[in-house]
Amino acid sequence: MHDDTLLTVTGLSKHFDGVPAVEDVSFDVRRSETLGIVGESGSGKTTLARCILRAIDPDAGVVRFRSADGWVELQDLSPKELIPLRREMQMIFQDPFASLNPRMTVREILEEPLVVHRVGNREERLAAVLDMLDHVQLEHDSLTRYPHAFSGGQRQRIGIARALILRPNLVVCDESVSALDVSVQAQIINLLEDLQRDLGLTYLFVAHDLSVVQHICDRVLVMHRGRVVESGVVDDLFANPREDYTRLLLSAIPSPDPDVPLRPLDRRSVGL
Amino acid sequence: MSEVALPSGAGVAAGVTDRETAAAISPRRLMWLRFRRHRLALASGAFLLVLYVLAAFCEFVAPYGTTTRNDDAINAPPMGVHFFDAEGRFHLRPFVYAYRMEVNPDTWMREYAEDTGTRHPIRFFARGEPYEMWNLFPMDRHLFTTDAGTYIHLFGTDPLGRDMFSRVLYGGRISLSIGIVGVVLTIVLGILLGGIAGYLGGLADRVVNKAIEVLQCLPSLPLWMALSAALPVHWSPLLVYFGITIILSLFGWTALARQVRGRFLALREEEFVMAARLIGADTPRVIRKHMLPSFSSHIIATATLAVPAMILGETALSFLGIGLRPPVVSWGVLMFQAQNPLVIELTPWQMFPGLFVVLTVMAFNLLGDGLRDAADPYSTGGMK
Ligand SMILES: Nc1ncnc2c1ncn2[C@@H]1O[C@H](COP(=O)(O)OP(=O)(O)OP(=O)(O)O)[C@@H](O)[C@H]1O
Ligand SMILES: [Mg+2]
Repeated sequence: MHDDTLLTVTGLSKHFDGVPAVEDVSFDVRRSETLGIVGESGSGKTTLARCILRAIDPDAGVVRFRSADGWVELQDLSPKELIPLRREMQMIFQDPFASLNPRMTVREILEEPLVVHRVGNREERLAAVLDMLDHVQLEHDSLTRYPHAFSGGQRQRIGIARALILRPNLVVCDESVSALDVSVQAQIINLLEDLQRDLGLTYLFVAHDLSVVQHICDRVLVMHRGRVVESGVVDDLFANPREDYTRLLLSAIPSPDPDVPLRPLDRRSVGL
Repeated sequence: MSEVALPSGAGVAAGVTDRETAAAISPRRLMWLRFRRHRLALASGAFLLVLYVLAAFCEFVAPYGTTTRNDDAINAPPMGVHFFDAEGRFHLRPFVYAYRMEVNPDTWMREYAEDTGTRHPIRFFARGEPYEMWNLFPMDRHLFTTDAGTYIHLFGTDPLGRDMFSRVLYGGRISLSIGIVGVVLTIVLGILLGGIAGYLGGLADRVVNKAIEVLQCLPSLPLWMALSAALPVHWSPLLVYFGITIILSLFGWTALARQVRGRFLALREEEFVMAARLIGADTPRVIRKHMLPSFSSHIIATATLAVPAMILGETALSFLGIGLRPPVVSWGVLMFQAQNPLVIELTPWQMFPGLFVVLTVMAFNLLGDGLRDAADPYSTGGMK
């Protein structure tokens, strides 16, 4: 374990009605890195991500998180004890339509984390909200609007702003760009990278699009049927996959010309 | 899901074209804009509003009390309101004609016709029969009445010479309020039990579900009958009123509880609810801020659709003589008096309470349908 480790997961398992969705998963996440989690649909990526943040309760395993007050074991905490830790770990969701309450204005959505954690007074909260809007490059006049008035990419920016307004360390992105158009995807990925640099974020980046993972992640875990079958530094692992399953995943990356060998994602080709 | 995304261009469809306005428009307002286009529902709502206001102020609106008898008008037919008299002269103040009673030589029945020689001018906001408003304030002004010694019976009179119009109004107060009080009880029971089942799941869910299934299997009318028959005879009219209301809502909550439970189950899985929990909101806040608001409009629609069942329940029980009893006046009690087919044939105006029951039930159904369509644009028969 490095001394800049932020999160360690050991032997994490989760079963649904006896069927394993995540089975004995272990890994470390270092501060300020981006760890990718890839795997085909149903391989347990979402379940793993949600178990780590205790959105659902794991059946077994240890999730140790380095909070501001030192190491805590998340799996044993009661819902009440978890609440203060929510400031330090957040989630950016996949569906920019389903993850925003349609009955709240952008201001209410972004203010809620601050209200819940009793941060600042009214003016300070508004200032923080406006500051966050700048960070995610949304107009200030978005405040009074409802989510239905925004495009998918804009909504995802709202979701990102909500996740980051409490200034967390660990941010779990569960397929946070999969639902977006390719050009919008590139903008959001760009934004996530800028925010990581500016705010010193650590990302757990769940995705099934390997070209995105290759672009944004430092290290990657490959999941298959709830287990981690391979892990390593992205470029090495993608260049020399040891497992057949990884090779299979890699072969599924769409390429404009089937004869062209796989290359790292070219930033310009996706409009960055 | 239906709660989450509004149909694209819903604002435009509702007549909002300006981009800025559409952006800041609240979902509640969007619902109102959609509802406004259901003309029939809107009209029903207005009709019910008028009816409820009239019933709330029935002492003032009705020219007479429920027991005031007019010995000159037994089983008399409804009077017509006139502006022109028999000679064709116009009168600014509307008037009714006095009754002219004859005994039919064949049937020996009293029959009434208009006595065009005697006009009873209608006075508005004039002093008339004294009464106590809401049993509190002694008053004697009525919305309309006629001079002392004369009379007005817009809906005719009953066999004891009591004014049907006044009795229908007083009856409406009881019948209409039973619908509302019952539905409030239903909503409380439905949200509480449905919410517990849907949010907690597990054993609580199974128990509530079983209770709902059992209650929904039972035929409600016989059970209502059995339970109301079991109400002690010596109970005061007020106690009986609440007893009947509770009996009616005891069976009414199941449909709402089912809905609430379903909504809770669905919403619990919604990403924005999980997002709220992940930012650190506690359960009461999640329920209050993120779950209840997104189906409160459905609760209102379902509740509106549940009112007619309550009103019909009261009417049915009273009609069968096991609900409310005289001297309490409700639409059901009034219809109880008109059970005899001969009564209906000879004095059809005694069916006025029935007409009001039908109109009210229809209006509530139309209003509820409109609300439901506005709340949920995906349901069948909703927005195109
Ligand atoms: N709430 C649940 N109840 C029962 N089974 C579940 C539940 N959530 C997930 N599963 C099952 O667990 C397995 C892993 O699902 P998970 O959503 O974690 O996969 P995933 O890798 O995120 O897939 P995708 O790429 O499609 O998002 C699947 O077989 C799924 O059917
Ligand atoms: Mg997933």
